[in-house]
Amino acid sequence: MSALHAEWTKLRTLPSTWWLLAALAGITAAAGAAVTGAVDTSACPDPAACREDTAKLALSGVQIGQVAAVVLGVLAVGGEYATGTIAATLAAVPRRGAVLAAKAAVVAAAVAAAGSAGVLASLAAGRGILPGNGFTAANGHPPLSLLDGATARAAAGTVLYLVLVALLSLGAGTAVREPAAAITAVLALLWIVPVLTRLAGDPRWQERLERLAPMTAGLAVQATRDLDRLPIGPWAGMGVLAGYAAAALAAGWILLAARDA
Amino acid sequence: MDATIEVRGLRKRYGPTLAVDALSFTARPGQVTGFVGPNGAGKSTTLRMIMGLDRPDAGSALVGGRPYRSLRTPLCRLGAMLDASAVHPARRARDHLRWLAHAGGLPRRRVEEVIELTGLASAAGRRAGGFSLGMRQRLGIAAALLGDPPALMFDEPVNGLDPEGITWIRGLLRSLAAEGRAVLVSSHLMSELEGGADRLVVIGRGRLIADTSVADLLEAASGGRVELRTAERQEAMTVLARAGATVTAAGPGAVTVAGLPAERIIALLTGEGVAFSGVSEHRASLEEAYMELTRDAVEFRAVAGREAP
Repeated sequence: MSALHAEWTKLRTLPSTWWLLAALAGITAAAGAAVTGAVDTSACPDPAACREDTAKLALSGVQIGQVAAVVLGVLAVGGEYATGTIAATLAAVPRRGAVLAAKAAVVAAAVAAAGSAGVLASLAAGRGILPGNGFTAANGHPPLSLLDGATARAAAGTVLYLVLVALLSLGAGTAVREPAAAITAVLALLWIVPVLTRLAGDPRWQERLERLAPMTAGLAVQATRDLDRLPIGPWAGMGVLAGYAAAALAAGWILLAARDA
Repeated sequence: MDATIEVRGLRKRYGPTLAVDALSFTARPGQVTGFVGPNGAGKSTTLRMIMGLDRPDAGSALVGGRPYRSLRTPLCRLGAMLDASAVHPARRARDHLRWLAHAGGLPRRRVEEVIELTGLASAAGRRAGGFSLGMRQRLGIAAALLGDPPALMFDEPVNGLDPEGITWIRGLLRSLAAEGRAVLVSSHLMSELEGGADRLVVIGRGRLIADTSVADLLEAASGGRVELRTAERQEAMTVLARAGATVTAAGPGAVTVAGLPAERIIALLTGEGVAFSGVSEHRASLEEAYMELTRDAVEFRAVAGREAP
């Protein structure tokens, strides 16, 4: 409990934490609004024939906003190695597993709060923008609403996605210790598969890669229509991402426990 | 509560370098124990092993009879300042102490008490990044004192401080020991510990060179030598050497004489008609005593190096 209190105080007393959380919510909402505003029904032969997944479209800003979650997760521990405070942390709480668990809890809570704000703002922006672009109830696109089961799942899943990305980053930061290296590694892991799939000509390989990659699998949870055409189911995809996060945290925990501080 | 810091047969290897080897010593309650050695001698490594940050390859380090990592309230058993610059530059000094207090399960009032004790009251609300070295040292010492521990360790606490800061830290170390605490303080300069330490643990290349009281060390280093001031240095050296003394030049118009009592030196010089202006017992400084100790270690290392290239 004292480790949790200490980690919360540590996170709370750095200005960068608040900037990153604001960036996470703000960039998610702003990028989502920008993408949503750029899509309309004019490309479809008939507005009613547009199969656009509007909830997914409105939430797409998270692909950019997640960078703030990566940086926050890595810095929660990497910042301690960079400044040397890790020695004081481990001297005060010699049970190293408790330190990592406490960091995971406070990072998850902070990202969940900021992520929720970003997701709600994205949906509100989508609700305002979409009808003007032809996505009206009359054309088969009812206003985005959390009362709709699939949209609620996409919204909650997006928050969970951000939390898992932050935890993956925390694990990577603990294992790698060098913040710049850890941030680069996590961003590469998240982005490299989307790039590779574009290069892979074979659609069967594309699908395989999308099932295995943390970002494409994790974001399957945002789909609200044509679920049968997804490479992986919404919650199965979230499970893949959770596996990455768990593996990174386990690697961080093992190294933290075994290594000299 | 037992405050003794005890190191037994400690060894630590980093790759090809043996940083600490077969090191044993004890820092006792009520004493300031100086932990001295040249840079890279293994002092910080030893302190890190005592705190459970680095794992020794052999041997053990105990705080109050127990390994540090098994202590339930470590901040209340051993306080330490390893690296004064190890604070987040963007965090306010008071917040740095607050998270430490939370981690140690200590009441918030302790934060204000150590801020007061270390004279940081006017700076506590500022971000640590703007702190001078002296203020960082004070913040590090405040952190070490948070848990009011019976044992304390400071790694190079006066390194880079102005004379006023050095005087303050010396007084603080003395008063902490006078309260019955065990105080272990490292330095690469013996002169920094002059008048501050009761016992000295001297290491070089990770090995123990001496574990002695300051008084014994000074007496051994002074070793019955006599300082002689004379304008006729050459003549005096010849006369005294003939009488069996070891004579070394100690600057213009001064020689150090070993192996003859002062009375005999005066009689000899007077008999031979060599003029001199002063004869006094040589009083070694701590720095001199230290140089003598480490010179032996250097010779030993040179021989050992030739045997095993």
